[in-house]
This record gives sequence, structure tokens and C-alpha cells, in this order.
Amino acid sequence: MATTITATLETTATRTADADQPLLKVDGLSVTFFTPTGAVHAVRDASFEIKRGEVVGLVGESGCGKSTMAYAIMGYLPGEPEVGGAVYLDGQNMAELGPAELRALRGNRIAMVYQHPALALNPTMRIGPQIEEVIKVHLDLNAVQVTERAMELIESVGLPDPERIAQSYAHQLSGGQQQRIVIAMALACDPDLLLMDEPTTGLDVTTEATILDLVADLKGRVNAGILYVSHNLGVVARVADRVVVMYAGQTVEEAPVRNLFKDPRHPYTVGLLSCVPKPVADEGAVTRLQSIQGSVFPSTQADPGMCLFADRCPMATDRCTGEAPAPVSLGGAHETRCFYPGEVSPDLWDESVEREAPHENGKEPTLTVKGLHRVYGQWQRKYLFFGPKVKPPVRAVENVDFNVGAGRTVGIVGESGSGKSTVARSIVGLVPRDSGDLELRGEDLPAETDERNAGQKASIRMVFQNPTSSLNPKLPVRHNILRPLQKFTDMSAKEREERACELLESVGLDASYMDRQPLQLSGGQQQRVALAAAFAGDPDLIVADEPVSALDVSVQAQVLNLLEDHQRENGTSYVFISHDLGVVRYVSDEIVVLYAGHVAEAGPTEDVLSTPSHPYTEALLSAAPVPDPDAIPTPIRLSGSVPKQHEQFKGCFFASRCPRKLGDVCDNTPPPMQTSPGSPTHEIHCHIPLEELARLQDNSVTTPA
Amino acid sequence: MNPLDAAVSAAAALLRAGASLVRLALRTPAGRIGLPLVVLHMVLALFGETLAPYPPTEFHIEDHQLEGPSLQFPFGTDQFGRDVLSRVMSGATSLITVAGAGALLGIVLGTVVGMSSGYKGGRTDEVVMRIMDALMSFPSLLIALLVLTSLGPNPINIAGTIGVVFIAPVARVMRSSTLAVKSLEFVDAARLRGEPNVYIIFREILPNTLPVLAVEASVRFSYSILLVASLGFLGLGVQPPSSDWGLMISESRIFITGAPWVALAPAGAVASLVIGINLLADGIKQARELPKREA
Amino acid sequence: MTRFLVRRISLIVVTLLVVSAAIFAITEILPGDVAQMVMGQGATEQNLKHIRETLGLDRPAPVRYLDWIGGVLRGDMGDSFVQKIPVTQVVAPRLANSLILAGFAFLVAVPSAVAIGVWMGVRQGSKTDHAVSVGSLVAISLPEFVTGVLLIIVFSSFLGWLPSSSAILPGTSPLTRPLILVLPTLTLTGVLFAYIMRMTRANVIEVLNADFVRTAVLKGLPLRRVLIRHVVPNAMLPTISVIAVNMGWMLGGLIIVENVFAYPGLGQLLLTSINTRDVPLLQTLALIIAGTYALSNLVADLSYGALDPRIRLT
Repeated sequence: MATTITATLETTATRTADADQPLLKVDGLSVTFFTPTGAVHAVRDASFEIKRGEVVGLVGESGCGKSTMAYAIMGYLPGEPEVGGAVYLDGQNMAELGPAELRALRGNRIAMVYQHPALALNPTMRIGPQIEEVIKVHLDLNAVQVTERAMELIESVGLPDPERIAQSYAHQLSGGQQQRIVIAMALACDPDLLLMDEPTTGLDVTTEATILDLVADLKGRVNAGILYVSHNLGVVARVADRVVVMYAGQTVEEAPVRNLFKDPRHPYTVGLLSCVPKPVADEGAVTRLQSIQGSVFPSTQADPGMCLFADRCPMATDRCTGEAPAPVSLGGAHETRCFYPGEVSPDLWDESVEREAPHENGKEPTLTVKGLHRVYGQWQRKYLFFGPKVKPPVRAVENVDFNVGAGRTVGIVGESGSGKSTVARSIVGLVPRDSGDLELRGEDLPAETDERNAGQKASIRMVFQNPTSSLNPKLPVRHNILRPLQKFTDMSAKEREERACELLESVGLDASYMDRQPLQLSGGQQQRVALAAAFAGDPDLIVADEPVSALDVSVQAQVLNLLEDHQRENGTSYVFISHDLGVVRYVSDEIVVLYAGHVAEAGPTEDVLSTPSHPYTEALLSAAPVPDPDAIPTPIRLSGSVPKQHEQFKGCFFASRCPRKLGDVCDNTPPPMQTSPGSPTHEIHCHIPLEELARLQDNSVTTPA
Repeated sequence: MNPLDAAVSAAAALLRAGASLVRLALRTPAGRIGLPLVVLHMVLALFGETLAPYPPTEFHIEDHQLEGPSLQFPFGTDQFGRDVLSRVMSGATSLITVAGAGALLGIVLGTVVGMSSGYKGGRTDEVVMRIMDALMSFPSLLIALLVLTSLGPNPINIAGTIGVVFIAPVARVMRSSTLAVKSLEFVDAARLRGEPNVYIIFREILPNTLPVLAVEASVRFSYSILLVASLGFLGLGVQPPSSDWGLMISESRIFITGAPWVALAPAGAVASLVIGINLLADGIKQARELPKREA
Repeated sequence: MTRFLVRRISLIVVTLLVVSAAIFAITEILPGDVAQMVMGQGATEQNLKHIRETLGLDRPAPVRYLDWIGGVLRGDMGDSFVQKIPVTQVVAPRLANSLILAGFAFLVAVPSAVAIGVWMGVRQGSKTDHAVSVGSLVAISLPEFVTGVLLIIVFSSFLGWLPSSSAILPGTSPLTRPLILVLPTLTLTGVLFAYIMRMTRANVIEVLNADFVRTAVLKGLPLRRVLIRHVVPNAMLPTISVIAVNMGWMLGGLIIVENVFAYPGLGQLLLTSINTRDVPLLQTLALIIAGTYALSNLVADLSYGALDPRIRLT
């Protein structure tokens, strides 16, 4: 039976025509949507090609039109947009296809993988039938063969026990498993072209790494062209053969991956690369992160006949603002939409401002966290108030200790479910703690914000993840800054007004922003207003919960640099929470690595990030995508997913996924805390002796994969 | 700012908000039909009795009992020879005032209960919502019947009863809307500033729930009219000899085969009023969604 | 599952307790006490005292409440003040009549409303959709007594096809004269149909915009299959609770409809009991209505849980 299936698949795979012809050719594509508020130029001018068997990465920031492009290739655009240019699949102009022909193509020759797998799967239909229906529609197989094929597919994306998975509903799978299912569905008919729209965005780093491995594996296995759309340069560097960069609806640069990252020829690409925090250059001068000033050319504006990047470009000339550049070829399949490709240098944006050393003062810690413990809910019983206990409370954090020195930054890293947000919210008092102590400059801090006095409230401020929702959309910027001043200072109305303007200026916004509505501001501007509001009470400690993860790379640096400047000038301490190891590494003096509510490792940044590390830290480091195609991916991968929050640990919290698990001892005994002899503040919670860890890890790093 | 200035500026703000709603409504066909209907009834409510051709209680028993529509009596006359048009015109005032007052009371109380309960959360919320569930497990008409039988049907009792009956549904809607807004981070930010709960609920959260509240208010207003008219039909509305559309229809049933106009005129009046409100609300809702419907 | 059931049923018990207390409070404690209600305004003080004693009204309210609830739990609702026979005997035939009427309305309204709602959701923005939207808006704007009277004018007075009154002799079943059920059913159906139709349409439109529907389209599935397998099942889930809420609504509508058509059901009995101050009867009827509403909500929750795999009945 299996042979017939393979035979059918081979016939579908051999329908390719010309070997020379590109599989996909996008030629001068433009997409304009018409909305009641005016035209939106989502894609202005995009051209590129994909060949069979290659992965093309499409990068750009939010609103650059990269996703619209993917859907335009699918012929699936909402409303009735005006589409210019053309998309050819194997030489066939897609616009000339009728609805039935297009339907025959979708899911069959072109398949797609989506950004939110949880939403892309039907919540009320089992996984099996969802995969089977694609096969049934496009391939001429009988019922038994269809089921067999579905099982094969589930197995081929690395999911064990396909029968069980096929019987499950989407919500019973983890995010990584869901995305594997979506990929299996896309592979169902052995497509010629696979479009992947931000397939790992929203997944944890360690899960992302395994999905990226799967994509790399696919490249060798299927004879398809893959378009990989992402905002993340590191991810693209890892999977792509060639990279296309988009800006404001245009493709601005296209090059083989190594050329693009090592020898970028468009100022925007260079800018993007200098915005990403890189692993510390060995012993070299640490330069400040760059950001691209200004904002993206608005999509609501028609083509102005100039370079769309000119407003933000450090090397723009009169020619750039008077004439629209066309893509020029530089040879070696490298193209750029710039008049002066020869003058673009990698340090275009890098004024190589050396980072000033953070001033370190006071030995007395600003904040002490001791044995912080928090669970949500209670034991649930079978018959509501009686009967056996059936479900334990949700564990959030257990026994977390750390100190934040005056003027220092402690970074907390962890994936979803690690409890990092609970730690942040307990410190500010939004979440009461079950046990443990918090001390602010040696004084006891009450658990809840309502119990704290005005001084304590003013001393500890918070910056939130989502700037759009952390400012009240119905109240002007003024409100967000004046209100804390009114609460925390005894200034007169006039003084408050002056101070508010100063604060705005300190975050690079002028006084005219006072009366703007938050929704009129860009994400970066909103987050800067939020910073100004946080600075308002002259706090001793700012708890920043993923402050840059909702922002585009090109503006992340603005926020990080503002935080750094404020710290240097005022000696403020920070607790900086992030899932992004690169960012945490850049800002922190010390790092706490959390996993499933437990501290895995803690200590000075460099000690934590070098060997020996906790096996979880090691996996995190190994998984984090680096914007360098030459970076050797270390093969440490975590299988499975973070333990269920109701699970109780008998032994080590990491035992279920630990690649270096010793055996029963890990399952049955909680790990001891070990400190390294050289650095007494560096603690690792693991059964493996430190020397042994160091030996294992040094070996695995030196053996390239 | 002295209280007078504050009142004036608040009134001006309300007027501006109203004017922008009207402009919004006029952008859709539903609004263009609904608005004139509502305006017509508002005019009737204010001046109906003055504009009516005859005093609504004037009897023409001898010569004009149950007469069909004519030039003299455009909508005919009823069993006592009273002009149906005049009775319909003068019936708007009490219906709209009582229903409006009841709806307003319910909306205000329901908003306060729902928002406070949702914001507070936990046990309090659980208990309050159980009580609301219990209240909602009666059809509103049944509660109104029970209460008005005990208290007697006068305008204040009717409005008060409707107000109480509407607390539960309004509270439910406002609670869920509050829960959605409460999860946004600016509420946490306000708590961290040490803002009192009342400030957070009414200054920070309420403005963000206004669109929901506006829709709910229009729904409540139209239900309230349906309810008051139904109570009138059951004899628990405004008491005779004042005219009441529901009661007019109820009384007309005896001679409905011979003189359907006596029922048709008030039926048309109730229908056009409620249809007008619903169309207007629908128009505003559609117009609000228009700019959002982009790709 | 057990946990869910225990939780839901205990909630219903609590709700019904609150409801019964409320009914008791409204009918007994509010001004114009029961004796007054029974005797009317012209009662002398002596009459009132006598009534209070015979009805046991001189005992404190909480005692009487517990007494009443105890009776209810044993199935003893007391005797009707007016008819002097057990309330259960008075209510039973009326309950059957009302169930017949409500059942018919439900059977007519729900399937057609769901079907048309789905159709209009899919054809969103078409001419038919606009026409149906306006029509349903008009339907929810008309109070039952207006619809009822209009139907009588058209079908009885004007066309003469159907009887204008649905009164039947006590002891006979309405099913023996099915024609009398047509107009009340239609009246009751109007609002029910329009409301469920509008909600279904809105739910379908929402699901049509969901990511997983996009996935289904981009799998190359034919539109029919996308609708049947992906859109409709998911749009039905929220519709179920809409239907349950409407059950409660329909009970209110019954009070009006039965009075418009003189149909001998619970609603008419309720109004009679109010007019005759028949307190035990009134309390029982109110409790039945509230209980039905609570029950339909439980059924909705259970079917929701059964149909939506995401909801674990724990």
C-alpha cells in the first residue's frame, strides 16, 4: 500500500517543467487596499525569484508588506485590492487563473505555514481529519491511503505517536506541536512552493530552534522552494540561502545570505544589523546599540518619486529625495535599491560610541528578594468541596532569591511559564506573594501595592511589555506623565507641567507631545512616554517587563539606550525581564535564569553565559538565533515542552527535558545549589558537579556540528 | 473651575458628543431612517398634547363613536368617540418619560454595580454575579408585574421597577467589558501610582467602555419602551383617562374586527418609536465599524 | 465532568433559593400585604385580621418562607386561595398548554433562524442580507401584543382564515383544534426568530474572519466544505447560549401572547392569579418560570461543553 502512495506522490512531483525557469517569479508586484479612510499601499514594488530547493528569507519590520506579499502569492487578499505587477509560478501568471484552478493550486502546489498555529487550526475538529481533508481534495487516494499518508506526515514532522496526535484537538498540543501539524498539513501534497509566514514568532526560543531544525531538514528532503518570512534577522540567517529585505513595501536589497550579512549594500540593511544586540565581541570595545531615527514611510502616502528611506538615511543626498532609485545589480546575485551602493559601509550607523561603564555605587542592595513563593488558586476537589484532591494549584514561582545592587541591572530570562512575570509583578505588588520577603533598601516591603506607602510606590516603578495598552488610549499623554507627578511629588501645577516637559524631552520627545493621544504615536514613541512616566517619581528601582519585545528592532535600541542613560545619571536599579537572551545580555550586570518557576542559574552576566552553565542555560544559549550565517549552531535541543503548571516536582524541575540528565537522582532529589569557586555569587542548581559540567560543555562547543 | 462652569462645559461636551453621534448615524441608511423617527417621537413627547387637534379626553359620544378615518378624524375615533390621532399624539409623553427614566436608572445602577464588581473581582464578584443571575432568571415582565401589583402602577413605581430589573443585564455587559479593559496594563499602571479604586473605575476604565455602554444604553431604551407598552397593555401602565398606547390596543381588541384603526394607530406609534431607536443604534454601530473595516 | 455537574447543579440550587426568597419577599413582605391583596382596598381591619389568621399570616415571615419552601420540596405548593384546590392541580393542565405553544414556537423559530442566519452571514453585504437585516430589526422592535393584534387584523378580520381567539374549553387539549395555535405561535416566533437569526449571522461573520477559516480556504478546499466543516460548527457554539437566553425571553412573551389570544396557558393563569391575589398560585407560577430558565441555561452549558472540545467539564 505504501508503495502506491509514494508512486502517486512521485507523479505529482514530476510535473515540473523547465529546470532553468525559476519556480516563483515576483515581478514588480504592488498591492493597494482601499479603505474608507483612504488607500493603503501595502506593497509598492517588489521583485524576486525563488528556485526549487532553495530557502529565500524575506525580512522586514512590521508594516513593510512582507506578509501581504506572501498572501498575494497565494492569491488571497482581503477586500478588492488593486494588484500591479505579476506573480509567475513555473512561468504561469497567477492572475490569469480562474477560481477553480487557483483552488486546485492552493494546498497542493503552493502551501502555507502561518504565524499563529493555535489560531490556524480549527479548534473543534480533530487533527487527523484536518490533515486528511487536504489530501482528499487534491490527491486521488482511497480512504485507507489517505489515513496512512496523514500518519506518515505527522511522523515526518517529528511528532511521535501519530495515532494519538491525530485523535487530539489543537488545544491539547503545545505551540511547537501545533506548528509541526500546520507544517505537516502544508506538506500533505508535496508542494512545489512553501510559504512560511513568521512560523516561529510567538514560540519559545527552545521550541523555535527545533522548528528551525525541521525547516532546515525539509530543505534537504522536499524538492520545493521555500519563502521564509520573518522579522528576525537571526532566524533568517539560520535558515535562508538567499535573503530579500523589504522596507515600506519595496524590496530594497537581495543577496545570498552570507553576502547580505557580511557585506550589506543598502543603508537600511546595515541599520537593521546594527540594531541587534550581538554576542559580546571578544574583549573588544562594547559599542552602544544603534537605532534608526524617524519612522517608516507611511503606507497611506502615494509614491513620492524619491527613495522611501531617504528621510532616515544618514547618507541621503538631494538625488535621493528627488528621484526614486531602481534596484541595481552588484554581481553575484546581489541587488540593492540604492544610488550609492559603493559607499555603504558596515559602520554607517556605528559611530562606535563606546558604552560608558555603568557607575557602580553603594554596597547596600536596593532590592532584596528572599524565598519568593507564589501559587495561583487552590487544590481542587472532585466534588467541589468534598472528595479527593484532583488538581493541585498552579505553581508560579518557588523559592526565588536575588539582590539588585544600587545602580545595577538584574536581568531575568526565561521562557513562557517560567514565572518571570510573576516575579516582576510580585516586586511591584500587583501580585501578592504567598511567602518570602522583599526588602527595599533594607526595609520590609508589604506584599500588595495598596499596602505600600507613597514613598515606596514612588520608589518602585514598572515599565510594561505592550506600550499600546500601558497608556490609556482615551487619555492624552499629559495624563500619563502628570498623574504620577501629582501622586509622588508635592509640586505645584505649574512645576508639574514644567517637569513633565523635561521628562518628555529626556526621552527624546518635545513638549508638543503632551496633548497627543497615545494612539497617534508609534510603538516606540508610546514606550518612551511610558519610560517618562516611570521616571516621574525619581524611582530607585524600575521593573521592566519585556519592555522592548513588542517593538521593532530599529526602535528597540532607543528604549534600551534611554534606560541605560537614565541609570547612569540617576543610579537607578533595574530588574529587566525578557525572553530574549541577546537583549538581557546587553543590558544586565547580573542574570537570573528561571525555568518552571525555579532559579536554574544566577550570577554575574559573563559567568552565567560562559561555562560551566546550568544545562538549561546551555540549551537557551544554543537555541538563541544569531544574525550571523557563520555562527555554528550547537546541537543542544530540548525535546518536549515546559512541564504543565499543575505538575509537582519531586526531583529536579528540569529533569523531564534535561539533555544531560544523570538518572534517577534527577527525578527524585531536588538539585543542590552549587557555587563556582572563582565567583561566589554565581549559583547553579544542578546535580552534575560543576567541573563535570564545564568539561561536558567545553567539549560540545569545540566540536562543530 | 466653579461648579457652574463645570456644568456648562460638561453640557457642551455632551452636546458635542451627541452631535458627533448624529453625524455618525447619518452616514448609514439605517441611521438616516432611524434618526427622523426618533426626532418625531421626541417632538411628540414634548409637544404632542399641544399639537393634537382635539383634547385627547374629549368625548364625541353621540355622533362619532368608532368612526373610520376621515378628514375630521384622520385616524378615526374610538368607542367613546375620542379622536384616535389626538390620543396617540398625547400618549408619547408619558411612555417616553417613564421608559426613559427607567432605562436611565437601570443603566446608571447597572454600570456602577457591573463595573465595581468586575473590577473588584474574587469572592465579591462571584456573589454579586450570582445575585444578578438570579435576577435574570425571571423574565423582566414578570418581575414588573409582581412588583407593580404590590406597589400600584404609578409612573414613579414603573420607572423604579424597570430601573431595578435592568440592573442585572446592564451589570453583566458592563462587567465583562470592565474585565476586558482591566486586563490592559494601564490599569496596573494606575494601581501602581496608588490611584483609588473609584478613580480607576470611572476615570481610567469607563471611557474605554463607552462604546459598549452606548450600544447597551440604546438596547435598554428600546426594551424599556417595549416593557412599558406591554405593561400598559396588561393594564399596569399609565392609568386612564390619560392615554396609553398599550392600553389603547388592549381595549380595542373587543371591536377589532369592526374598527381596526383604533388598534392600528397606537400599534404603528409603538412600532415606529422602537424601530426608530433600533435603526438609529444600528446606524451608529455600523458607522463606528466603518473605518475599522480595513485590510 | 462530576465536578462540573456538581458545581452547576449547586449553582442552580443557590439561584433557585435566591429566586424563591425574592418571590416570597415581593409577594409577602412588600407594602400592601397578602391579606390586603386578597381582600382588596375596601377590607375592614377585622376582615384582614381574620384572613391573616386563617392563612397563617400572623406568623413571622422567615417561618412562613421556610414553611413554603419545605412544602415546595415535598411537592406541596399549597392550595389556591381562589379555587380552593391544590395549586398543582390548577397548574398542571395550563403548564401542558403552554409547553405545547412554546414547543411549537421553538420548533418553528430555532431551525429556520439558524439556517437563515448562517446563509445571511455567508452572503454578508448582499441585497438579500440587507433586506433580511432590516426585516429582523423590525421584528425585534415590535412588542408581542402589537404583532399579535396586527396578525389578528390581517388573518382574522381581513382574510378570515384563522380564529382571532384561541380560547378553548377547560379540559380540552389545544391539539384538538390546531388552527387556534397558528397565530399565537407566529407571534411568539417573530421576536425569537429575529433575535436568534441576527446572533447566528453575527457569529458566522466572526468565524468567517478566523485564521483557521483562512487556513481551510488556502488548503484549496471547496467553499461548501469550508462552510460545513469549519465555519458552521464553530459559529454554532455561541449560538447555543443565545438560544438558551431566548428560552427565558420566550417565557415573558408567553404572558403577553396568551393574553392577546385568550389562550389558557401559564401566562394567562399568572395574570389571573395577580388579579385575584391568589398568592400561592402566583408564587408557584413564578417559581416554575424561573426554574425553567435556570434549567435551559444548564442544558445550554452542558451541550456547549459536549460540543466544544476546549471546554473541559471540570
